[in-house]
Amino acid sequence: MNIIETIQTYRELIWNLVARDLKGRYKGSVLGFLWTILTPLFMAIIYIFFLRLIAGRGVPIQNEDIIIGVFAWQFTVQCVSTGTSCISGSANLVKKVYFPRILMPLSITLSALINFLLMLVVQFIIVAVLLFREGGMLDLWTIAVPVIVLYHFLFNFSLVMLVSAANVYFRDTQHVVNLFLSAWFFMSPVMYTFALVQTMTADLPRLQQLYLLNPLAVIISGYRSLQLPGAEFPWSNAALLGWLWPAGLLIIAYMIFQRAQRNFSDML
Amino acid sequence: MTIAIEAQQLGKAYHVQGMAPPTLFGTCSRWLKRQPREQFWALRDVNFQIPAGRTVGVIGPNGSGKSSMLGLIAGTITPTTGALRTEGRISSLLELGAGFHPDLTGRENVFLNAAILGMPREFVRQRFDHIVDFAGLREFIDMPVKHYSSGMYVRLGFSVAIEMNPDILLVDEVLAVGDMAFQMKCLDRIRQFQKQGKTLLFVTHALETVEQFCDEVMLIHDGRLIMQGPPTDVIFNYLKSYMVRLGMLNVEEHGTRDVEMLGVRFLDEHNDETASFDTGGAMIIEIHYKAHKRIENPVFGFNIKTGNGFYVFGSNTQLGNVPIDSIEGEGFMRLKIQPLTLKKGNFFLSLSIHSWDHSVQYHRREDWHPFAIKDTSDTPGLMQLEHTWEHQADLDG
Repeated sequence: MNIIETIQTYRELIWNLVARDLKGRYKGSVLGFLWTILTPLFMAIIYIFFLRLIAGRGVPIQNEDIIIGVFAWQFTVQCVSTGTSCISGSANLVKKVYFPRILMPLSITLSALINFLLMLVVQFIIVAVLLFREGGMLDLWTIAVPVIVLYHFLFNFSLVMLVSAANVYFRDTQHVVNLFLSAWFFMSPVMYTFALVQTMTADLPRLQQLYLLNPLAVIISGYRSLQLPGAEFPWSNAALLGWLWPAGLLIIAYMIFQRAQRNFSDML
Repeated sequence: MTIAIEAQQLGKAYHVQGMAPPTLFGTCSRWLKRQPREQFWALRDVNFQIPAGRTVGVIGPNGSGKSSMLGLIAGTITPTTGALRTEGRISSLLELGAGFHPDLTGRENVFLNAAILGMPREFVRQRFDHIVDFAGLREFIDMPVKHYSSGMYVRLGFSVAIEMNPDILLVDEVLAVGDMAFQMKCLDRIRQFQKQGKTLLFVTHALETVEQFCDEVMLIHDGRLIMQGPPTDVIFNYLKSYMVRLGMLNVEEHGTRDVEMLGVRFLDEHNDETASFDTGGAMIIEIHYKAHKRIENPVFGFNIKTGNGFYVFGSNTQLGNVPIDSIEGEGFMRLKIQPLTLKKGNFFLSLSIHSWDHSVQYHRREDWHPFAIKDTSDTPGLMQLEHTWEHQADLDG
């Protein structure tokens, strides 16, 4: 059975698992869904404050850039950090009930996607307000954001497949993932823009190209260039490669996951 | 006849790992040291066929591979060797309340659990009231399940699970849940499945249940299929070879051994040695004894209990008015029970040799000898009671 058929056959189960994840996340917390928005919002405020305070002078960064970067970054973080244990944390389910295991990383990523879509609405409003204060407005290309969201979703799905399967085999994967996430944060244009990288690596063009191979670098730059008027996407061969190789990653991650899932119940 | 489940050379090996969960560090260090990974075969060279519509029990000591086998059939475990073919939709009662989220209400969890078990949402919506009533949890259904007692939790899980309409149902030890009333409901439901011609596979330690429900029993030990056949025979074999030999039953043997039982044989009416008897036939128990010194007025006694310890009958030569003056050296004592009024089941025989005033036990074997009774009649019960009917119509009418 290929993945498309699996999704069609099990769409009710997928929906139930997504609903379980979303409901479970907000049950019993006073602010509920608000936390999803408050977390990136507070993060953005902290970054903006410190960047203005410490490094601010001369760094070409706008508040809108940081808001967009942090919200997009949160999508990936949420997927990877909850996805790591989505199989190892449901040992009973995996050992006792049969259903395609791919549904577990898929439903985790889907519920993060729904979260992100709600976050995006808030993000649009904040960015629009910030732009309006400066006398501008959202770029018309904003309507194309869903395309990047879809791409971002598939990229996150590949990551979740990899880390969730790895965590079954090696329980210390989650520590490695946390370390990796903190390094990745600084290597992605979350609290700065690609323009800063360009200035810093002006005499090292190779490094600049290497930087663009990071899919999050192109994804976040993509979000910015679509929404913010005047923000140009740094097109180059490396950026193109940065867009393309996650497609291969998706296929490889899927194949690795399907191979690994045979032994899941033995390893749990 | 169609085959519902067929296993060919089925085997499952696990890599033996230490106590801790596998880690990247551990794997690397083992790889560097070139330690080979040890293998443990939970199941090996298993071959069987189960025709559709049968109810088959799987018995065996703990850790013999029963649950691995169910896992293989359910598809949650991938076989290491061999192949498994199944025909029809499989559902398993392996995990009750699979995927229950503690923070969600009973109602939400019913739908979630049903989806995990592969039931369409519309179907669950229709059956929802029935599910809740079966579990007897109507007033708690909108409460988060984390506030449920463990019994309520399992009851709700079971009530959802039995709404499944599979061709093959796998049951693992789950009938031991809930109170008596709930268990009765569960067993009724199992009988319904049987009547509908579904294939059932049972894993349980409750031998009485196996005997009552199953057409056929498989005995598994150390990962191998030892025996497959009629329940009474297999259970008897299991009790005799595994439980008694491995000391798993609470059998005891004690006494001064001034007189010793050297051997005990079970014979039928043709003096052929056997371990299973027919209701209404004869059972002869031959005790080969040796008295190491001269014993005055010894008493030979016996009693019979059912598999779950119910005391059926007991007597001795004193009560039977068969006094023995004295014994010395070897001899035989034959006890004949005829007609044998016990009905289908597994029983245990205890034997003893003691003094006339019961003050000295020379040799006593408690629950030592298992035997099985086969019954060709359809009447249920523990004992065959001789009876006649007399009918008189109302003549004055």
